[in-house]
Amino acid sequence: MTFEFISNTVAAFLTLCIFSFLYKDNPFYKFAESLFVGVSMGYAIPLVYENAFIPFVYRPIFVEHNFLIIIPSIMGALYIFRFTRNLSWLSRYPIVFGMAIVGMGVPMSMHGSVLVQMRSAMLPLDNLNTILIFIGTVTILMYFFFSKEHRGLYGKITNIGVWFMMIGFGASFGYTVMARISLLIGRIQFLLDDWLGIMR
Amino acid sequence: MSEKMNFFERLQALDRRWIYLVVLLAIMVPLVIPFNSKTYVTEPSENVYKKIDSFTGRTDRAILMCFSHDASTMAELFPMEVAILRHCFERKIQVLTICFMPQAKPLMDYAINTAKEDYNVQSGIDYLNLGYKPYGLFLPIMLGMGDDIAKAVETDDQGRKVDNLPIMKELSNYNELNLVIDFAASAAVYSWIIYARARFGANVAAGITAVMAADNYPYLQTGQLTGMLSGLKGAAEYEKMVDVFAMHKDEYGNPDPREFSKEVIKNTWIKMSDIKERRYKTARIGMNAQTVAHIMIIFFIIIGNIGYFVTRAKKKVTAE
Repeated sequence: MTFEFISNTVAAFLTLCIFSFLYKDNPFYKFAESLFVGVSMGYAIPLVYENAFIPFVYRPIFVEHNFLIIIPSIMGALYIFRFTRNLSWLSRYPIVFGMAIVGMGVPMSMHGSVLVQMRSAMLPLDNLNTILIFIGTVTILMYFFFSKEHRGLYGKITNIGVWFMMIGFGASFGYTVMARISLLIGRIQFLLDDWLGIMR
Repeated sequence: MSEKMNFFERLQALDRRWIYLVVLLAIMVPLVIPFNSKTYVTEPSENVYKKIDSFTGRTDRAILMCFSHDASTMAELFPMEVAILRHCFERKIQVLTICFMPQAKPLMDYAINTAKEDYNVQSGIDYLNLGYKPYGLFLPIMLGMGDDIAKAVETDDQGRKVDNLPIMKELSNYNELNLVIDFAASAAVYSWIIYARARFGANVAAGITAVMAADNYPYLQTGQLTGMLSGLKGAAEYEKMVDVFAMHKDEYGNPDPREFSKEVIKNTWIKMSDIKERRYKTARIGMNAQTVAHIMIIFFIIIGNIGYFVTRAKKKVTAE
């Protein structure tokens, strides 16, 4: 019995434990779910310690004697106070610092998600695609204009916007179905090929 | 006395577990008894291939593969990662890899090890695994690479100074690292678009799960994304392009890579049995099962809707 077969058998058992939930909730599913959470955390902690704490905190302070690093280290450590009722306010300092970085992203997000998108919506109406983009953009924007009641001619126009949105949601749903089936295919490929070896 | 249920009423009341069983069989049967379905290549996938292929043999160009997913979406993203790495190793395209999620680290290593099995490639010369970097450094590294890669990421996965490695000789920033591909099941690719693309003009492509595909199409239309591989379908398309062009052999069976051509890809039908290694056709075999499952689901939706309207009409008649 090889190590590969043993590890594949363990993985196959855990896969079947998770799939058993489709029949109904049961202790095997609960066991596999808890084990997954535990293993993920157990794996991440030493990796983060090795790749974040040692090179960016321990080595600069204790080996290279770069004592300036103590300030951001203390700042990061303040997150721990989130778990205490009286001193949880201290955790707001690193959060505020983090928000400053988010602030830096605002102009770039404006550029990437609003300005560039607007520019590409302003196209000459010389083919069917651009005409469809134009109609879709205008009617959907009108649908989300709530200061006017959606009645009469205005209601009919906003209804076109609803159709465009429904087509968009349909495309998203189709892709979601494909994604979920793909994940199932991945697991079944593992069971049939890596574990049982019956795939041709 | 209760009225006897007709076919559609029984279908409406069917236990969902029977549907699970049918879907399971619809997936299992094509995997055990494979058939050759045709893979049509879409333009977003084609653009990724063409962009990567344009760096063939160049030491002043490289691609960066950022692994931003865990094992839960491996089924969709892993085949495309292996296909892209295989393309790079086959065509002597320099490739750098990095991840900012602890869970992505073993997947990144696994993808590199899987793809390099058939190639004599060396870390630090043909490819460079920059390893796992803490997520807190995502933004500083992404922005820092716009100025100097070796300063932004000082050491690689093995702890070697990046600056001293042969692969880095002609690579300094996004001018040379001219394509970033983010493999994600989340909006991680968006960060590359708004920082690396907007600020440094880096070419960004996405290898994403199908769930994320619809959200990313607007970025394709604007040109903010150079190309996109969507889910298992995107992976199957890339596998096919690698086989048809990068792995092309002449009449004597010698390697004879060729340029991408729409006509060739459209008219080429590859028999799955001709590809010996399973790891190079995982996505295409998966798409066979996907096709059958989709037909099954469409059938269920149609039957379910007919059943709904028939039942509603019957209720209406009974009420009158």
